[in-house]
Amino acid sequence: MTATSSTFATSDHAIFVQGITKRFGDFTAVDHVNFEVRRGEIFSLLGPNGAGKTTIIRMVLDILRPDDGQIQVLGGVLTDATKDRIGYLPEERGLYKNVKVLEMLIYLGQLKGMSAHDARVRALDLLEHFGLSDNVKSKISQLSKGMQQKVQIIATILHKPELLIIDEPFSGLDPLNTQVIQDLLFEMKAEGVTIVMSTHQMHQVEEMADRLLMINKGQRVLYGPVKEVRQTYAQNAVIVEGEGNWTSVPGVKEVQAGRNGHEAKLMLAPGFTPDDVMQILASRQDYTVRRFELAVPSLNEIFIQVVGGNGSRSEARFSDVRAAD
Amino acid sequence: MNFAKALIVARREYRVNFRSPGFLFMAFAFPLIILGLMFFITQFIIERETSTDDFQKVAYVDKAGIVQPDVVAPAGYFALDVPEVDAVPYIEQQLKDGAADAIFVIDANYTLSGQVDVYSRKNITEALKENIDAFLSDNLVAQATNLKVPPERLVEPFDAVFRTLETDERQSEAALIGRFLLPTIFVFVFFIATSTTSQFMMGGVVEEKENRLMEILASSVRPLELLVGKLLGLSGLAFTQITFWILTGAIIALTTEQGRDFFSGAEFQAGDVLLMIVLFILDFVLMSAIMLGVGAAVTAEAESRQAGGFIGLIAVLPLAANALFFTNPNGPIPVIMSFFPMTSPVAIIMRIGLTAVPAWQIAVSMVILIVSTAGVLWLASVVFRLGMLMYGKVLTPKLLWQALREHQSTPVIEVLPE
Repeated sequence: MTATSSTFATSDHAIFVQGITKRFGDFTAVDHVNFEVRRGEIFSLLGPNGAGKTTIIRMVLDILRPDDGQIQVLGGVLTDATKDRIGYLPEERGLYKNVKVLEMLIYLGQLKGMSAHDARVRALDLLEHFGLSDNVKSKISQLSKGMQQKVQIIATILHKPELLIIDEPFSGLDPLNTQVIQDLLFEMKAEGVTIVMSTHQMHQVEEMADRLLMINKGQRVLYGPVKEVRQTYAQNAVIVEGEGNWTSVPGVKEVQAGRNGHEAKLMLAPGFTPDDVMQILASRQDYTVRRFELAVPSLNEIFIQVVGGNGSRSEARFSDVRAAD
Repeated sequence: MNFAKALIVARREYRVNFRSPGFLFMAFAFPLIILGLMFFITQFIIERETSTDDFQKVAYVDKAGIVQPDVVAPAGYFALDVPEVDAVPYIEQQLKDGAADAIFVIDANYTLSGQVDVYSRKNITEALKENIDAFLSDNLVAQATNLKVPPERLVEPFDAVFRTLETDERQSEAALIGRFLLPTIFVFVFFIATSTTSQFMMGGVVEEKENRLMEILASSVRPLELLVGKLLGLSGLAFTQITFWILTGAIIALTTEQGRDFFSGAEFQAGDVLLMIVLFILDFVLMSAIMLGVGAAVTAEAESRQAGGFIGLIAVLPLAANALFFTNPNGPIPVIMSFFPMTSPVAIIMRIGLTAVPAWQIAVSMVILIVSTAGVLWLASVVFRLGMLMYGKVLTPKLLWQALREHQSTPVIEVLPE
């Protein structure tokens, strides 16, 4: 059931989702999930395989209907006109094999409400931008996999969408093409396009996303700004690189070996802060410190911790993040 | 439904499939080859059968004494005397010597038996037989002066007029030919249209599923728009093919004298033609919707071809049971087939060519067909919506039933990739 109005959604929201649930038979794929995507941000949807990410995306796009809850997209209930303002690149994506590149792009552009002329002009422009000018008349089957992925991206952004939803945008791309797509997404963000990105590549999320939503077993387990999520999961510890007997530093209760063999992770005793330890180290002649930083976990570590551990506990913590957000 | 988007899909389906080698061959090359072959074979046979060039000298042996001196014989005909003994070797020798190209012997008992032996070293053509027949008729008529009937009545004793008791309809023989000709053309055209377009109907959907395009399309168009677009585009393709076939056939038929005679003799009933057009459209939509639904439910092109072949066979089942139609067109099987939506158009049309089908049966059949076509279109759109996202999995009737019962868009989780 999709509501026709909401008292919560504002014009700042590209997507507003409240309490959506989707059941397939006896299985609950998505269970009362709330989140919102703000206009102009890069929002990341995370979760293990089968968590319910694609089901959420399909409900947002009205490909599937939620059993409960409400969804608003670009300021209202999704209509045909709204669909034309969205670009969608699913994880399971392909192209007509025996059709010429330009012809296929014009067709997909027309389905998004463009005139054939406008679709042609824009497609030629984008093909040139992506270095595919020589392949305008090639059949899709004649292109390399990387080229096909570029054409898929072009098809997704051809109609200048206000909201871009991409499922695993970097899957199968080499580093060069990954950079091309990453640059494109930043360019689009700078132009005010809202980007929703579902991915497994945590470093991309850390690097690109403003906020994230992590789903596990159909339930929201993490939600909030990426930086705050990481800070919240930060332990009372610091990472140091240098020389000295770390175990004898006041306030350090345990020393763990660092990842590269040079660094050490100092676990701090209750009542001691990283600032305290930094001041102690600075005042001592028998310690040389080349690097000192907070032990903030990577999203990958948080992902493993949350998905492998107690999801509901994590969500309880992050509801604070959301509230403070 | 956004009809503009359905039209974009229709235009694309038409254009892409029109250019495909499979369609170009089936629509244009194949009928031209068939009709060309038929034309040359027919011309060859006509040339051979209507020519008397090989029979410039025709001798006749009148043992019955029926040839009248005042009857003008065709050019090249002459009387021949043969000996009583060894008549056949003598005739053979005459033919070998070239004294005659053909010799026919009118038996002494001809007036009772009608026996005439024709000898020739070459194949005896239809034209020679007709010449001999006309020669004998002229001579018989010349002897029947006391019968007080015109000679042409003796040559052609009756001109049939057929009356149907149920409708008191008076029909000429030519009209009957027309009534039988139309159903034959209908079944033929219907079979071509469905068999050619069915592969595009199902193949296109399966290709979009195999190439993982469905979800991209689903984010731009509704399943019903996609379904209607495909239906319109591929119907246009079938219409193009049928038009070309009919035009080609008509042009070739009208360029031959026999073809012209045939078409001018056939009287087409306007009501029958209208009924056939309506039935054709309904049946085509019904079959196409079934095939699109099947295409969305299966996973591979091979599966869709098998299913398409089976569905096509059901539609022309009345043809397989034609013996029942010919012997008793109002019998139980033909009547049942007239009410079953997948067979009813072909069954009704076949029966119309053979008997007066009661109006109520046509009406009931049409109602059932219209309701089923609407129902199948709706069901096809449901199957389409469910099947379009099921990559690599078959939408079984059980899953479909479950989905329909629960009024939800997806039956169970395992059909969806996550």
